[in-house]
Amino acid sequence: MSDWGPSRRGFLAGVGGLAAGAAASPGLAAPKTGEAVPHAGAAEPFYGRHQSGILTPAQSHCYVAAFDIVATDKAAVAAMLQRWTEASARMTAGLSAQPRETDADSPASDSGEQLDLTPARLTLTFGFGAGLFVKDDKDRFGLAARRPEAFVDLPHFPGEQLVEQLTGGDLVIQACADDPQVPFHAVRQLSRLASEVAELRWVQSGFIGNFGKTTPRNLMGFKDGTGNPSTADAKLMDEHVWVGSEGPAWMRGGSYVVFRRSRMALEHWDRMKLSFQEQTFGREKVSGAPLGAKHEADKVDLDAADKDGNPIIPENAHIRLASADSNGGARILRRSYSYNDGVNFVAERWPPWHQGMEYDAGLIFVCFQRDPRTGFIQINEKLSRFDMMNQFVTNIGGGMFACPKGVEKGSYIGRELFE
Amino acid sequence: MRAKLILALLPLLALAVRADEPKGYLETVHRHVTLTSSVTDNGDLNPYAVVVAPVSAGKIHKDDVLVDNFNNISNLQGTGTTIVGFRPDTKETYLFARLPQKLAECPGGIGLTTAMTMLKSGWVIVGSTPSTDGTTKTKGDGCIVVLDPQGQVVSVWAGPTINGPWGNIASVDRGDSATLFISMAGFDLPGPDVRDPATGYPVTIHKATVLRLEISVPADKPPVLLSQTVVASGFSQRADRDNFLFGPTGLALGSDGTLYVTDGMDNQITAIPDALTRNDSAGTGRLVTENGLLAWPLAMAVAPNGHLLVCNGRNGQVVEVDPIEAKQIYAQWIDNDQAQTPPGNGDLFGIAMTPDGKGFYYVEDDVNTLMVTK
Repeated sequence: MSDWGPSRRGFLAGVGGLAAGAAASPGLAAPKTGEAVPHAGAAEPFYGRHQSGILTPAQSHCYVAAFDIVATDKAAVAAMLQRWTEASARMTAGLSAQPRETDADSPASDSGEQLDLTPARLTLTFGFGAGLFVKDDKDRFGLAARRPEAFVDLPHFPGEQLVEQLTGGDLVIQACADDPQVPFHAVRQLSRLASEVAELRWVQSGFIGNFGKTTPRNLMGFKDGTGNPSTADAKLMDEHVWVGSEGPAWMRGGSYVVFRRSRMALEHWDRMKLSFQEQTFGREKVSGAPLGAKHEADKVDLDAADKDGNPIIPENAHIRLASADSNGGARILRRSYSYNDGVNFVAERWPPWHQGMEYDAGLIFVCFQRDPRTGFIQINEKLSRFDMMNQFVTNIGGGMFACPKGVEKGSYIGRELFE
Repeated sequence: MRAKLILALLPLLALAVRADEPKGYLETVHRHVTLTSSVTDNGDLNPYAVVVAPVSAGKIHKDDVLVDNFNNISNLQGTGTTIVGFRPDTKETYLFARLPQKLAECPGGIGLTTAMTMLKSGWVIVGSTPSTDGTTKTKGDGCIVVLDPQGQVVSVWAGPTINGPWGNIASVDRGDSATLFISMAGFDLPGPDVRDPATGYPVTIHKATVLRLEISVPADKPPVLLSQTVVASGFSQRADRDNFLFGPTGLALGSDGTLYVTDGMDNQITAIPDALTRNDSAGTGRLVTENGLLAWPLAMAVAPNGHLLVCNGRNGQVVEVDPIEAKQIYAQWIDNDQAQTPPGNGDLFGIAMTPDGKGFYYVEDDVNTLMVTK
């Protein structure tokens, strides 16, 4: 990623490649004279019918940030969303968040740690939380009546230990890129542009190993995402991911995202027998094949039983309870990342109730769906009660957000909601 | 999953039969099926008591299974306030009662325990051993609560003989009167940080009792507590950070009026003779059996053959005991959740026979479910 730098030399060096850089940046408005060249390639489109970062093949790193809105008038929020839109279009194309200032005595308008990096397929996906519509029983912005019917509050699920400071938010940004520094840079600039309008509530960074074309593995060592609907199948995406005519205009082509910070009891998990781990997932660890099958892509046969009539894939195995067949056909598009936030003291919530310093690591569960009532909520109703994996995973934060449809050039994210 | 797994993989392991002993009840049950989650909408969990409804009344249908929760949403022990019902024929799960966290007449508030029963007159009686921080450091004396069949509190029994009503209730229900036995495990129990320097564990004291309560049930009126008699006393009790407390937990009444008591701390089952009629304490009673297959015995049920079915706390096994012959027959692994060591450790608590006697209901604290054997 390139652009201006704080030094005059950096600024001048960039000018020469302007035309080529702009052409290589899909959807980018023509940079202003004097701006430097984004690196060619490695850019994901920002504008479009749908927001990027949903069907986009998962990048290696993410940084999710939720905000509380502190402004009291709608116009200020809309203006901030305009700033976010403009900055996001620039950053995803490899430019700095804002055009370079000319006054060397002013603070730099971009922190600059992305200089010399490519945009690394940066995507910025925006969502609106329930608090944008109603907060503390107040219709702050006159938007309460525009809250979509499908955008219900997430129910409490058994076993959750939600930490208030890690949960909820009025706005969310999911920044993803193939570089750990790029998404943080993006959120850092957007947070700065939110000054006096919105404040950070929680953030969470995540990563996925470089698995190439194979299904990524989570920190439990199992493949995660095998059963996802194919993002190449537009019909499936329309059916399960994109809001259709049932939603308000600003959500048609959008999607609902659920983030869950799922802490894994990795020390406990590591002491489990391989066979028990596989029974818990319902898949073989190495191959990823469903139990009783040979290959990862083989059909999950929930009816298969041994000679005594006991199911091959156990009654409370994760893939059985999560499967569409067990949930009335409900499907969601998962796009999760692992996280690793060091160690801290924890009291496990299962027998034998081990207490001590343990990894604060696990999964940033991310899923997109057309309607959370028939998506995540429906699926998790059963999973949260009966999944054997619940003995190793505790949800401690996250939230649900309505991600509006994609942005047209000249518009801004969520415009139809605000105007 | 756990029980079925082990049965699927090792069908013979689950029944550790001693070839020279008579066979018993457990060999007639083979499968272990999840019926429902005991977690309520308010997040209560850690199921303890299991009671089968003897009659239809109010919200409850005959043969419904009632399960109460000892923990609240924060997983603090001694704070659960809910009782769920499960209807076997429709598979419906419903909230039978949600008690207030604080009840003026109940010292310390509400934390529902394994001490629960439903009378033929429709009243539900449940014990509370409350805390505010999940440990005995903040334990209140607790009480016995009487609920109407709609799940509403109608009266509370408390007093110097009632402290930490804990284990499953044994009873004789004559309709217009009843005799209940409830273990009291709370007397003078300190917090878990008060340690015995000799062992390093929380101190063990010996003040737990079994209380007999005689009640009358006037027509269309709540039960009246007529008299109380301590029929057994001196049982071991100890605070425990993970398990709240250890104390006498399982009660079962033999046909001859002998009351059997599980003493988890001492890993034994004792017998209190003439429990229905005696006017004094038999101390801890006569030893029936100890150690062997027992591993921290908790709640008990009486099988159709008169044998005791005893839930082990230290593993996921139920042990069959012939109380007359004073013999342990065998054990079956009904919760072999390998997430614990040994499998099922800390998972079992309440148990109750199905109405036809062909199986039994039990709870799994690891996953907060009601199970049944078939």
